Order: sequence, then C-alpha cells, then structure tokens
Amino acid sequence: MDESEDVPKDFIKLKSEKLSVDEVSELVISPYCGAASLFIGTTRNHFEGKKVIHLEYEAYTSMAEMEIKKICGDVRQKWPSVKHIAVHHRLGVVPVTEASVIIAVSSPHRAESLEAVMYCINTLKASVPIWKKEIYEDEYSWKENKECFWANSE
Amino acid sequence: QVSVLYFARSAELAGLRCETLSVPRQITSLQLWEEIVKVHPRLAVIRDQVVFAVRQEYVLLGDQVLVLQPGDEVAIIPPISGG
Repeated sequence: MDESEDVPKDFIKLKSEKLSVDEVSELVISPYCGAASLFIGTTRNHFEGKKVIHLEYEAYTSMAEMEIKKICGDVRQKWPSVKHIAVHHRLGVVPVTEASVIIAVSSPHRAESLEAVMYCINTLKASVPIWKKEIYEDEYSWKENKECFWANSE
Repeated sequence: QVSVLYFARSAELAGLRCETLSVPRQITSLQLWEEIVKVHPRLAVIRDQVVFAVRQEYVLLGDQVLVLQPGDEVAIIPPISGG
C-alpha cells in the first residue's frame, strides 16, 4: 500500500450549473479513508413569512477561490489527517430545494471529517466574498450572514 | 490608476460593476472611500456596512494607509452572504 499515490487535494469550484452530490463526494472518496462527510446548503422556500421564489448568487470569483483555498489550508492544520476537501458553490439563479453549496471532506476516521465540514461552512459564511439575493414575489433582499466579521447586525 | 470593482448592493447603487479611478498612490482607506463616494454619491448609505478588498485582502474603512500601484484591484465588499 503506497499512500503517497493519494496526495491530499483541494477541489474548489464556483459554477452556474446545477451542483451534484455524486460528483462532489466522488472527488473526496479515497481508499485510505474510512469516512467522507458532506454538507449541502439548499434554497429554503420562505423567509420571515415571505415566499422565496429563488436565490441569486454573485461572487468576487478570484478572491472567493483564494479565501476558500485558505480555509482548506486551515482545515489541514487543525485536522492533519484530513485527506481530500471539495467545496462547490453555485453562482447565478438557484431555485428552491436546489443546492447552493456542497462541501465534502474525507479522513481515515469520522470525527475529523465531520468537524472539518462544519468548520468549512461556518468559515465560508464569515469570510468568502459571495453574495446572495433572496427574490420574493414582489421584492428582493440582499442577505447578510451573521458570521460576516465586519457587518453590525442591529 | 486603480480598478474599482463593485459587487451586490454597491453595484446596484453605483450603477456599474467596474471602472478605473485615479487616486493618490498613498491614501488612507477612509479617504479612498470618500473619493469613490464623490463619483457615486448614492454609495454613502452603505458606508457603515462595507469593507474594501485591496489586492484581494480585506481592509476596513479607517486610518490604514494603503500603498497603491497602477492597475491594483480595489473591490467594494458589502456584507457577505455565501453558503
């Protein structure tokens, strides 16, 4: 068994096409890992009593990819046994129930991959320059993550 | 001369996504904001919510002195909502 053939990799993609859970999980599966954990963020159909028609995402793409890469680096420092990390985020229109983000992490044992996935989504929400517009029936709203490190929630 | 990028609400208020602006090579981040608001006064309403990204590093609006090179990218970053 030569584990040096299976070099740890980060798979980061921002794209407007529909995301695939199969595709993202296959990226991280490794014969040396007994665990792969997954987070899927999907579009909810309501907010504060208003019906959500769909979400629209935009990104500062070059910086977003760099910030996600930094998050992957942090993950590998905190959980050195983590093998592969995949973060796919959708841009443009995302209809209700479809996925806007899928994060997958593999590790030899389950604790690390579960913790790393949670860290990834929490940190992404705090630091990656991506914006979401919620489209309602007769208005829209630019959302603000409470994790955003510079915005004051009043 | 720097490239200024506008995103999300700031792009709606400014009416554009990208432009070139002439600014002094050394300027505080707050002064840079004020230069931009001169060109796009409607941006003033979001002043307390935005930060900059200068050469893809976050910078708060304040006294921090920026040393800008021609062609540098400066982005207006409203509160983020990824994920």
